[in-house]
Amino acid sequence: MDQRTSSPSTPASPGLSLPTLEVAGELDLAAAPWLRDQIDALFVGGADSIVVDLSDATFLDSTALGVLVSALNRSRELGGRVHLIVREPQILRVLSITGLDDQFDVHKDRSTLDTGKDPR
Amino acid sequence: MAREEITHGITRASGREVIEMSIPGSVDLVVLARFTAATIGVRADFDLDEIDDLRLAVDELSVSFGPVDLETRLRYEFQRDGDTVHVRCTREPSADDGGAGHSERDIAEWQQARELSAQLLDELVTAHGREIANGRSIAWLMKQRGRAAG
Repeated sequence: MDQRTSSPSTPASPGLSLPTLEVAGELDLAAAPWLRDQIDALFVGGADSIVVDLSDATFLDSTALGVLVSALNRSRELGGRVHLIVREPQILRVLSITGLDDQFDVHKDRSTLDTGKDPR
Repeated sequence: MAREEITHGITRASGREVIEMSIPGSVDLVVLARFTAATIGVRADFDLDEIDDLRLAVDELSVSFGPVDLETRLRYEFQRDGDTVHVRCTREPSADDGGAGHSERDIAEWQQARELSAQLLDELVTAHGREIANGRSIAWLMKQRGRAAG
């Protein structure tokens, strides 16, 4: 819990002009309400697309994934997309098992947010 | 391996051992179940991926009951039998078994999480299931080294 951090937006590159949430640590049952609140905050400014940077996340269970799916649905209703930045193999595996790797825009790192190309 | 036999009366890859644990339904304590799962996975000679899978699967057992509260207890039994791990998670009933006090959004997200959880468990473990015994909800799994979904 203590490792979770957030950043509402970062201007480091064009792709990162999208509202961005940086998350670290284990995203589980205990973290899900926090994650939901943080994602809600990203949409408050009227954004239709968001970035959730999971580069430093080490664990993702179904409750946290459910929060991300809710964000995906909300974004789609607005005509937007949800970009996930994922490095942890276990999190990629969770996305793959559930078939959600095709639903989110999954990136290895922030550089591909600039072009929208997925290097996978 | 010989020292292991002297110390515990078992070897890591053979023999049987049982770990029991009971925690209040506090979401930040589920990490203890994951930690225990990892430990018993090591003792069953699981590889790192299998240990990660077991940790996640035990977490999914824990959340499969839906919203929990401090009046609820989750009781775990981890049993290692050679290279096979069995985990049973029992939810001790509470006055609030219907999710009272949770918003519609909470419940909707739980339903979604439950579907995702079932998908994950299908892939992560050799077998899993749910049952009711003596009025208590039980979720269980079995994972054998070298074998994922059955």
